[in-house]
Order: sequence, then C-alpha cells, then structure tokens
Amino acid sequence: MTREEIYGKLNEVFQDVFDDEDITVNDATVASDVEGWDSLEHINLIVAVERCFGIKFTMGETTGLKNVGEMVDKIIAHLS
Amino acid sequence: MSLVSSLFLVFVAAVILLYYVVPKNFRFWVIVAASLAFAGFLGFYTLVFVLISAVLCYAGGLLAGPGKSNGARNAATAITVIINIALLCAVKYYNVLKFASERFNLLFGATDTANTFFLFAVPVGMSFYVLQTTGYILDCRWEKIAPEKNFFKVLLFSTYFPQLMSGPMNTYAALSAEFEKAKEVKFSLARIEDGAVRIAYGFFKKLVIADRAAMVVNMVYGDHVNFTGFYVPLGVFFFAIQLYCDFSGCMEVVIGVSHMLGIELPENFNCPFFSKNVKEYWRRWHITLGAWLRDYLMYPVLKSEPLIKLGDWSKAKFGKKNGKKVPTYVALFILWFAVGYWHGGLWNYVIGSGILHFIYIVLGMVFEPLFKKIRPKIGADKLYFRIFQSVRTFILMLTGFVFFRSATVMDAVDMYAAIFRRGAVLNWANFSSSGMDLKNLIVLIAGVLVVLLVDAYKYQPSEDDKPRMFIEMLRRKGIVVLWAAFMFLLVSTLIFGLYGMGYNAGSFIYATI
Repeated sequence: MTREEIYGKLNEVFQDVFDDEDITVNDATVASDVEGWDSLEHINLIVAVERCFGIKFTMGETTGLKNVGEMVDKIIAHLS
Repeated sequence: MSLVSSLFLVFVAAVILLYYVVPKNFRFWVIVAASLAFAGFLGFYTLVFVLISAVLCYAGGLLAGPGKSNGARNAATAITVIINIALLCAVKYYNVLKFASERFNLLFGATDTANTFFLFAVPVGMSFYVLQTTGYILDCRWEKIAPEKNFFKVLLFSTYFPQLMSGPMNTYAALSAEFEKAKEVKFSLARIEDGAVRIAYGFFKKLVIADRAAMVVNMVYGDHVNFTGFYVPLGVFFFAIQLYCDFSGCMEVVIGVSHMLGIELPENFNCPFFSKNVKEYWRRWHITLGAWLRDYLMYPVLKSEPLIKLGDWSKAKFGKKNGKKVPTYVALFILWFAVGYWHGGLWNYVIGSGILHFIYIVLGMVFEPLFKKIRPKIGADKLYFRIFQSVRTFILMLTGFVFFRSATVMDAVDMYAAIFRRGAVLNWANFSSSGMDLKNLIVLIAGVLVVLLVDAYKYQPSEDDKPRMFIEMLRRKGIVVLWAAFMFLLVSTLIFGLYGMGYNAGSFIYATI
C-alpha cells in the first residue's frame, strides 16, 4: 500500500472518529490541529486505525507517536 | 531527612562540591553514593527497600525486554509489576491497618494511641519510586526503551536522591538522558544561583505560607464541633493554600537541587488554581502522576480487549456518538479510583482525590454539548466568565479537599454537616485562637500574593505550553534583580518562616519539618 493510499484511508478514519467530514491529515498534523483529539479520543483513534489496516500498535507506539507522519510510518512498518 | 531542613542543605552543598570537584567520569558515582546515603538517612528500611526495588526493576526490565518468547516476556512483566504494585498496595493498606490498630488499642484500654499493634516500617517515598520503576519495566516490555544492562544506572534511576521522596516521577528515557547530559555539564555560578533561588522559593512557600496556613486548618479540621458555619469553608480554603504551597514548595527544592547538578527534572505544577475546569486542573496539578497514570494505566485499559468489546456493544446499543463514551467512562473510573487510592489507602482519599473528580469530569463531558451551545450566548469569551471558570473549578477542588484532609469519610461528612450547625461565633478572637493573629495573617496574605504574582507570570492559557520561567525573567532583568529576589526569599523565610517567628536565630538553626 502506498503512502498516498494510506492517507486516503486514514482521512476517512479521522473523519469518522472526530465526526468531521472536512478533516484531512498530513505528515505534520498533530493532536492540537484536530478538534477533539485529546488523550481519551486518542485511543479511539488508535483502535479505529488498527481495525482499518488490520494491524496492532504496541503500547510504546500508541503513546509515543509525535504526529500523523509517524503514525503512517508505523502503519507501513506493520504492513510490510 | 526533610527536604526543608538545614541538614538537607548541608548535604546538598557537600554533594554539589564533590560533584564538580571530581573528574567528570566520577560524577555518576557521586550521585549514586549520594542517593544511597540519602536513602540511608531516611532510615534503614528505606535503604533496604530501595535496593530491593532497584534489583526488581533491573531484573524485570531484562526479563521483559526483547530476545525471548512473548509468553516469557509477559510472565516476567506481570510478575515484577504485580510484586511492585502489591508492595505499594500493602504500604497504602498499612494506613488502614494503622487506623484500625489505633482503634483496637483504644478499645482494649491502651492509653497510648501510637501504633503498637502493628509494628511495620514503611519505606519513605515508596509511592513515587514504585510507580517509576514499574514504568521502566513496562517500557522495556513495550519496547519503548532497550533494557539497561548496567545495574547501577537502573539503581540511580530508581533512587536519584532529589526526587526519591516526592517525585516528580520520570521515565527512564528522560532521566537517563539527563544523567548522560550531566556528565558534560560545566560548573557555572549562574546554574547554582538559579537553583538557589528555586530552593529559597520552595522554603518560602513551605515555611512562610504552608505551615502558617496550617494553623487555621488544624483548628477547623481538628474541632468542627466548635468551629462550624463559615469556619468550615475558611478552613478548607486555608488547606488548599497549605497543600499547594507545601507540595509545590517541595518541588521547587527538588527541581532546584537537581538543576544545580545539571539534571533537569519535569515540572509538577503549572498554575493549577487558574484552571478553567477540573480536567485542565489535573493537567496542571501533580502533572507527572497524571501523565504516568494516563500512559501506564488508562491507555492499556482502554486498549484492552474487554474495553474494546464493551465499546462495540455500547455503540450498537446507544449509537456511535454516545456509545463510544461508555468504555471511556469505565477507564476514567479505574483511573480516578487509582489516583484516590494512590494518595492514601483510606476511603477519604479515594473519594476526595479520586471518585469525586471522576464525577466532575464525567459530568463535564456529558454536559459539554449543552455548554457549547450556551457559551456564545452568555459571553464566554469575556474576562468575567474566565474568572468565573477558575473560581468554580477552585470551589470544586475545595469540595474534594474536605475529604482529603479529614481523618475518615464520616469525619468529612460531619465537616459538611458542620457548615449548617451553630458553634463558635465568627469573630477575630475565635479565629485568632488558632495562632493566626494579625501579624501572621498579614504575612500569610503577603506570601500568597507573592505566589499569585509568580503564578500569574508563569501562566500560559494552554496547559500544553511550557510555563514562562520566573527565574529566567529575573536573570534577564539583571544579576542584581536575581540576587534581590533571592535575598528577599531568604530573609523573609528566616524572619517569617514558622520556626523563625519572633526571629530567633537559635530556633531557626534547629528548624526541621
């Protein structure tokens, strides 16, 4: 799966979790850029991403992601 | 050895002198030795316990780390974490046993209510280093870090003396990076000055404000048969001042000492009483505990299979928007129960700093959609509303402090009942019987104003932003201003500190808390 394809799916996940169809994310997107992305919603997002891509993030990855770009890197690593 | 004592200052001065005199490669061993010596000063059992805890942490990290089967790693993680948490629970439960034994002794006619039934030495600071070492083991299992092979590095991580007794809690990745960085730190007078100002500010907060506020607190909480009505909220208000200045004062000393060694520790307080709501308050009060519980308790609980299944069920039952909140509420309950239990094994802690806050936060979440609609209509962007939010949050905190400071839940309930009872008349004679005469009250108000001004300077509207550092501002104004601030804090503590009242140099020398 290419990075672009991952972003296509990831945008849908973000729009669904945060209930906002206008959300589009990129490598630099961080929690403060998305309304409602707090420590509680973070886990809902992680679980939704895991289900979408059929992967499982470790707890270290779950708590250590700095931006969406890192999340995509981890998704690619898990899929390969 | 108290952190707010002359003995501790002498100890710190000796450590700093040795630290900067020895070759850089030996600095590590100086702080290892200092940390073990400090644990020894706290008591034989504390020293033994920190050593056992460090061995457990070291072994747990190695066994939980990569290179073995997942089953073996999970088993090693579970065993070492359970031992750690069980020991912590045992010590927390000790409070319950102690309380029960005192009642037991009284029941059988003992005149001394000291703990004679259960003789059990409680290691000092355990609540902090047990969580920190547990975090290390979990980090190794989750592969956030590689297990440390050098035992002494783990020993130092778990026993580092400034933070041993009261935190702030830290991760291995952050603290070990600071230890590495410190090897290259050069001695600088500016570093010592900055640390000294923080330490002086800590002593000021503790000795001038916290222990003075305690006079009224002890009077009201100790006798709410007599001190009723308005005395109760007054006593709780003074307790809020006491607790904040006591704990944050302690952190000033800890962070200041560590800064002198070139080892930066995380801030634990960020202007908590300016918070807009309870959720924000807990991101500004005892920050490192909140972060620890979020990363090592709430996230794993929320990400566990049973909670994910509960989320699926509740979404199907209550719809996507409301249903996804159900597992969040369950995880928040577990989190806040743990926060309350961590503060002490008794129910007054579980309620006062746990369950009550859980209720406030959940209510805030439930009514958030309604608040969102109302806010634009009532001018929520105006200053008066912002002040209202902080005052409301502060009052909500006070409701928890009633439980937190009371001996039992029933005692706290009686405190609430006392608000509506008739007792001592609210007048100056009765109020000052606590020891809070006019001079003490003026000193207390002046001290609180200093803390308020410093916090107002530090305050950033977003709790995620680093607070502005007061000492950096003083330094920018010039060395004379920095030294003037230091002298102000030092002299006011010497003159107005609890043991310096009436200014008697003799009594100050023996000042220990």
